[in-house]
Amino acid sequence: MKEKEESMKANVSLETVYVPSEDIVIREIEGELIVVPLVSGIGDLEDELFTMNATGRAIMEKLDKKKSLKDVVNELSLLYKAPADEIEQDVVGFMEELLKRRMIVKVSRA
Amino acid sequence: MLKSPGLKPLLFVKKGGELSLPGQELTRLLQAVLEKGASFRFRARGFSMFPFIKDGDVITVDSLSGGKPRLGDVLVYVNPRTRKIVVHRMIGKRRDCYIIKGDNTPDSDGIIPRENILGRVKRVEREGKRIFLGLGVERVIIALLIRAGILSPFFLPVVRITRVLKRKRVR
Repeated sequence: MKEKEESMKANVSLETVYVPSEDIVIREIEGELIVVPLVSGIGDLEDELFTMNATGRAIMEKLDKKKSLKDVVNELSLLYKAPADEIEQDVVGFMEELLKRRMIVKVSRA
Repeated sequence: MLKSPGLKPLLFVKKGGELSLPGQELTRLLQAVLEKGASFRFRARGFSMFPFIKDGDVITVDSLSGGKPRLGDVLVYVNPRTRKIVVHRMIGKRRDCYIIKGDNTPDSDGIIPRENILGRVKRVEREGKRIFLGLGVERVIIALLIRAGILSPFFLPVVRITRVLKRKRVR
């Protein structure tokens, strides 16, 4: 059972560069980051939309075609004054969630 | 792990309808979606397009990349004065501007510049069912009837009664 759950997880690598998918629209609305997925070419306000907390937003804003996920973790480590190896798990978990929902895509492997 | 629970990155899912967007924010979101070449689906509010679009109908809007607005098209535009989104019908053209009016409003919205037009309604859904009337070729006749001032006087009393009944139901 646990093996099945593991295989369902999106495979996130710290060496990979990720960027927001072309199939989403992100807008800041009243201080909140709103993500509208474009499903079959439709941005649907009647369907599921996504928001994230400040840390999630900080991660999303650092996905810029240049930084690997490891770079993002290091920057967050400085920002939140926490050891990189301690925040890595949370960042990877968050990225898995974004990847599973096709909100981010891989650019390349470093 | 980030020790403070507030620092853990979290993604929240919002179900459709939970998000109440002020007019200008809805405009920005709609523009951003249309700029990507996608359609935008949202719930229309108000009675100004009754009976072809009713309060609570879900409409799908396309960008105008497929061509210029045609007579009778239901257009989505930004009101130049209020900056709010309006969904009304094109009943005429004057140079690069359009004469637009709600099917059920006493007055025309005036002359709206081309740059204020965001898109065209391509689909209307009511309680899960697609509504075709008002968007096909009949839209030309509707536009001509509105221009002649024939349609609105007929529908306005119906809307007033509907509003009163809705208010009573809410109480």
